[in-house]
Amino acid sequence: MSGDHGDATIAQRVRRLETLLEEKGVLSGARLDEIIDASLSGASPANGARVVARAWTDAEFRARLLADGTAAVRELGFMEGSYQRLRVVENTETTHNVIVCTLCSCYPLRLLGPSPSWYKSEAYRSRVVREPRAVLAEFGVELAAGTEITVWDSSAETRYMVLPRRPEGTDGLGEDQLAALVTRNALIGTAAV
Amino acid sequence: MTDRFPPGTPVRTFPHDPPHHTRLPRYARGKRGVVVEPEGPAELADVSAQGRGDAPVEQIYAVRFAARDLWGEGDHHVVLDLWESYLEAYEEDAADER
Amino acid sequence: MARINDVGGVQNFGAIDISDDAEPFHADWEARVVGLVNALRAQGIFNTNEFRDAIESMPPAEYLSTSYYERWFLAVRTLLEQKGVIRPGELDD
Repeated sequence: MSGDHGDATIAQRVRRLETLLEEKGVLSGARLDEIIDASLSGASPANGARVVARAWTDAEFRARLLADGTAAVRELGFMEGSYQRLRVVENTETTHNVIVCTLCSCYPLRLLGPSPSWYKSEAYRSRVVREPRAVLAEFGVELAAGTEITVWDSSAETRYMVLPRRPEGTDGLGEDQLAALVTRNALIGTAAV
Repeated sequence: MTDRFPPGTPVRTFPHDPPHHTRLPRYARGKRGVVVEPEGPAELADVSAQGRGDAPVEQIYAVRFAARDLWGEGDHHVVLDLWESYLEAYEEDAADER
Repeated sequence: MARINDVGGVQNFGAIDISDDAEPFHADWEARVVGLVNALRAQGIFNTNEFRDAIESMPPAEYLSTSYYERWFLAVRTLLEQKGVIRPGELDD
């Protein structure tokens, strides 16, 4: 049934579906625009970076974050309605964490921003659970030989974020400057910071 | 709700292979792991996907698997969030495959 | 039974393209599909599990040859047909 629509592009078919649904009173065009805006608005890796910077500078916040990520990020104003629990997992000198959703593409959107295509790709989803060290090396993350790697496969209602290690030589930096160091990939685990 | 599998419980995933939606990936079916902690109850995805509105609520557990137990090799671990009905307690003295 | 989306440990998907996307959506229609799914879900037309089920139920060859958001579009169409919101084939009349 699909794939045989040489004349109509996907864009045309999407528009046609919207029109059909509006004609049937299922959707209104204006409402759809609002929802599109709402889906992405406020979703940014800057949010996750702020959480990390706070954890790096406030040991009690860090402890709360690791104990109950959902509640801790709410303290910073980040509410997330679409999933049940946020779990933050910390990298240490001997452990490194990396996140995946092998079954689809589950991801904490509000804290990390839109997910990159690679995160959604079969190549990443198939390989990171099987050979994480090699995958991390392809992302430029070289881990010491004894480092234990844990891969978190988001198979249910919990969403995961990595708390990367604070880089050396950053003692003098304020929270904003620290947040600026944190990349989206670090929050997924495919970068050190 | 008392959790059937407290943290630290050795468990095995059922070798389940349903014809419907499920959130137990193939690579982790019939495998031994250890419960990390409960994740909070939710409607069982397998039934919720059928759209009748009658999905049972079950506890979900984060379960940690050694790569070696999943694929016979590897030194890393994989943690999956699994609904209670995907799991059974693993008894060390039960008949084992290897 | 194994579904095509269940790719953990499957070989030969090739190198991971680690480059970042310039934009979250490569075309407007992708954003509109996301909006459509979110709107329909918010209205209770289907739930997230039904939506995932519809994507996973695609024949493997179709799943592997369509882009991520095109799968979303196809899944939405399938669900709407199954639930009688649109007639089978009505979209492409």
